[in-house]
Amino acid sequence: MILLAITFAGPYLPFVDRELSKITYILNEDKRPVIPPYPPSEDYIFGTDKSGRDLLSLIILGAKETIMLVACITVLRYALAIPLSFLAHKKWMGTHLFLKWLNGMLSYIPTLIIVMLFSMLPPFLLTEHRPIFLLLIISLAEMPRAAEMVKLEFDQISSKEYIYGGIAAGASPYRLFRTYYLPFLFSKLLVYMVTDLGKVMFLLGQLGFVGIFISQGLVQSMGGDWQLVNNSISWPMMLMKAFEDIRGPIWIPFFPAFAMTCAILTFNIFAQGLKTFFTKKVRYI
Amino acid sequence: MLHSILKSAAVFLLILVGFVLILLLPREQKITVFSAFHVEADYPFSFELYKKRIRDFTNYILTEKGLGDARSGRTVREESAIFVLRSIKIILPAFMVSMLLGTLMGALQFYRRKKFTGKLQNFLSWLFSSIPDFFLFIAIQYLLILLMQQGLPHFKLYGHENWYSFLLPLLSLSVFPFLHMSRFTSAALENEMGEEYVRTTYAKGLGDLKALLHMLWNCWSPILNQAQLVMLYILSSLPIIEKLAGYNGAGKELLFSITSNDEIKALSLMLPFLFIMFITIILSQIAKFWLMPKGRP
Repeated sequence: MILLAITFAGPYLPFVDRELSKITYILNEDKRPVIPPYPPSEDYIFGTDKSGRDLLSLIILGAKETIMLVACITVLRYALAIPLSFLAHKKWMGTHLFLKWLNGMLSYIPTLIIVMLFSMLPPFLLTEHRPIFLLLIISLAEMPRAAEMVKLEFDQISSKEYIYGGIAAGASPYRLFRTYYLPFLFSKLLVYMVTDLGKVMFLLGQLGFVGIFISQGLVQSMGGDWQLVNNSISWPMMLMKAFEDIRGPIWIPFFPAFAMTCAILTFNIFAQGLKTFFTKKVRYI
Repeated sequence: MLHSILKSAAVFLLILVGFVLILLLPREQKITVFSAFHVEADYPFSFELYKKRIRDFTNYILTEKGLGDARSGRTVREESAIFVLRSIKIILPAFMVSMLLGTLMGALQFYRRKKFTGKLQNFLSWLFSSIPDFFLFIAIQYLLILLMQQGLPHFKLYGHENWYSFLLPLLSLSVFPFLHMSRFTSAALENEMGEEYVRTTYAKGLGDLKALLHMLWNCWSPILNQAQLVMLYILSSLPIIEKLAGYNGAGKELLFSITSNDEIKALSLMLPFLFIMFITIILSQIAKFWLMPKGRP
């Protein structure tokens, strides 16, 4: 709830600097100009970044974009995983073998490396729709794992008696899916998806450290080569310079990472709550 | 058993080939110079180019009889070995800590599950397993920096030169797998609670501790299955943590070689990682064969 409140109502709080005004310098006690970043103090609770923007405001304003991205990736992932898992469950044209192979591959190579390798490919690097492609890559990268989990659920449910009952009663495949599988699958899926929100956030954070983000533009620099430029204020972006910042103004990576931790914690609490809610519901029927 | 090991080896080879194919996808920049003021950069991407790159790569491997020389004059293999050895110093202890101590901790948690301390431990391990490792690392460093300002003796937080520099990455890297193992073990033990043999143990007059030992022995299969997952987790977090710590290991170099499109180096650093995964899988299979009671699925 707090996370949602910050995400949607946060930008209208009085202390949030909505313009994200940049400060070039402030004068210290000796009337000497001091350039940002400033450490956490009374004026700036979380400190400021290198161009003098208040980190607290930055995090609150970036929350909406970040949460939206995470939600989009998760929904996309499951939108792809559910049909695939159903086909794999039906063993349609060797889908189950394909899924098994993909999962074997993913259990050897870290997701981070795969996303890095694919996101730097020229066709995805040069298009105008890079954010969409990156969304796709990130959601596809962990999709087989999700599909495998859903497939196991399908396998488990279809061994139950009432499914045979449905088949014997002459239910069409669609009806079978809609009224026999879905009500039982729904609660599990919801729990999986909320848990996945946390994992996606973690992956986005890791990608932030390597400098790969969803909203990036490609700009030709003076030297003639192309450079990736960020035009977003989402949390992972603030981690990009972490390797330099960690040796000096360590609060710049600290607070966005802290915000991510809070978000992951919230998702996990939510998932846990949903789980207990659903198990209770089933038990008392 | 030999059958399953051979199967794993075949899967490993397939995955290796798949990885090399992904790595070789054309991603290089082509710069055409027309005149001093007219330079065009382009990223060509076509199937012919891909085929050519694969051919070049196999030729390179065949002519160099290995991975060839690095820019420093040494062979790539020697150079990678330095980095990999540095990383092994983190990977192995992290794996050991999470597998052995994690399992022990899980058994302990199960043993105390009804007491207050057990419940507290359950809550804490749940809370800490939600914290991403990179945040943990940054938080520890921030705390240490603040403490040093307050008068803690100064020591170096970054780099790989000091004997203690692997401790901080190791700590932040092993927290999540450790907690995962402990939670998993305790859940696996709870599943065994209703089995007949536990009742038999008590009927024979053996105490709680002996019963726990019996149950643990029956849990080896799911616990050992987690070995692969734990290793994968450690390996996927390693690059980021190494980079944050300025620890010059294989993970950090791997990130660098991928971003700078150095396929040979990326391959030479990724190979040991894949191999470590493979060994983990094989070892866990062998351990399962030795430890598991016969006749259980």
